[in-house]
Amino acid sequence: MLKLFEHETLDVHHLNDEDTAIKVEHLNLRFGQKHVLQDISMSIPKNRITAFIGQSGCGKSTLISAFNRMNDLVADCRYDGSIYIGGRDINGRKENVSQLRTKVGMVFQRPNPFPMSIYDNVCYGLRLQGIRVRRFLDDAVEQSLKEAALWEEVKDRLFESAHILSGGQQQRLVIARALALKPEILLLDEPTSALDPLTTLFIEELMAGLKKRCTIVIVTHNMQQAARVSDYTAFLHQGKLIEYADSDSLFTMPEHKQTEDYITGRYG
Amino acid sequence: MPRQIALNTHISGKFNTELENLRNSVLTMGGEVELQLVDTLRAIKQNNAGLAEKVILNDLKINAMEMQIDEECLRIIARRHPTASDLRLVMMVSKAITDIERMGDEIERIARLVTKNKLPASETIKSSMILIGDRVVQMMRGTFDALARQNENSALEVYDQDNRIDAEYKKLLKYTTGEMQKSTDDMQDWLEVLWALRSLERIGDRCKNICEYVVYLSRGTDVRHSPLENMQQKLKHLS
Repeated sequence: MLKLFEHETLDVHHLNDEDTAIKVEHLNLRFGQKHVLQDISMSIPKNRITAFIGQSGCGKSTLISAFNRMNDLVADCRYDGSIYIGGRDINGRKENVSQLRTKVGMVFQRPNPFPMSIYDNVCYGLRLQGIRVRRFLDDAVEQSLKEAALWEEVKDRLFESAHILSGGQQQRLVIARALALKPEILLLDEPTSALDPLTTLFIEELMAGLKKRCTIVIVTHNMQQAARVSDYTAFLHQGKLIEYADSDSLFTMPEHKQTEDYITGRYG
Repeated sequence: MPRQIALNTHISGKFNTELENLRNSVLTMGGEVELQLVDTLRAIKQNNAGLAEKVILNDLKINAMEMQIDEECLRIIARRHPTASDLRLVMMVSKAITDIERMGDEIERIARLVTKNKLPASETIKSSMILIGDRVVQMMRGTFDALARQNENSALEVYDQDNRIDAEYKKLLKYTTGEMQKSTDDMQDWLEVLWALRSLERIGDRCKNICEYVVYLSRGTDVRHSPLENMQQKLKHLS
């Protein structure tokens, strides 16, 4: 039979190890007495964009922060369960957290360029790793800025302050800074919520290009954005993973009523 | 003013591809149906039951195409939230494929005339049927061409062709009724012929529907259920 449209989808509930970037097993996370994440188990596919959606306080940001142990910085944070990245449980005591954060980059809601030049911002992480070779840094800056679709706009003012850039440019700069470390996984926590609609679309297009070289996990409050940009979507509610499926299925015929109520704007 | 809808100018390259594929898929489906009619007419000319059988089987492919395109429209609406010309395109495609699928059903009915060996004995009826069929093929080509180019003027020209088809259909219907009265024994067979003629005429009507959608896509004006003169007036007023 003639196939008019090609849409490749993986079954996220039966992913093999080769296709898995992050595997979460029975993750429970508490901030003090508050049970924020409750028995989360899921596999995030490699080189795809996976979106987390859900109401404020449902645990989306906490979950992606667990992927590079950012929750360790919160006092009273306790967790059990496992998160496997590259076959290793990152919740293990011996995990080198700095190395983990190099491999799993993160971009936040508000662009946070450091008070230094564009060039220094991009190679900040590399310098922290002890890389000083100018030629290497130059190449890394150029490549990262190109990957973040910012090179053409800033190539003539690399040594000017990063703060002269617009919000959208700053966010792309922050993405370039993360990319310079060649992360395997890029975590984006509401990366466009402070940006205008057009810049948002540019960032989304950038993500679509970036997934060829790394796995992207995005938290968004904007359901339309999740529908547009993601290959897979997970819906969380009050710390529980309610539904996780390919975005085509989730946005056309969700299995759970709670998901349907949320994405259609009904009061659940 | 008419505006050529540029499908490849969105910031999202994937959305460009999706819309381009969607439009191409309708044209592919249209091309398939057009070929079905050409084959059916050839089967009538040659009294070739094998070819007619192939047409009947091929209709399953058309049905499957309709379902695939419908699913893609649904997917695009759910994931891309199209607006303005993009939304008109998706809605137009969703409606046009229903008409194209029905054309396929009408063609299947005509092809059954050959497989059931119920072709009229009268050469006059047969040749008139083929003549109308050829005109319908021309109309289909014009319709899909107007759709591909999103050209409402071409769509209106094609729309006008249906009047000629209707006139010839009425003439043939009158002649066939006269022949029926002469040989009332094979009334069932005559009814099959009448249904087939009606099917040919209906394909023309379906083409008209698609032409109306082309005008809607290009101008955003709904010209359905308007006579041609009113449609032309409406468009003139808009330009």
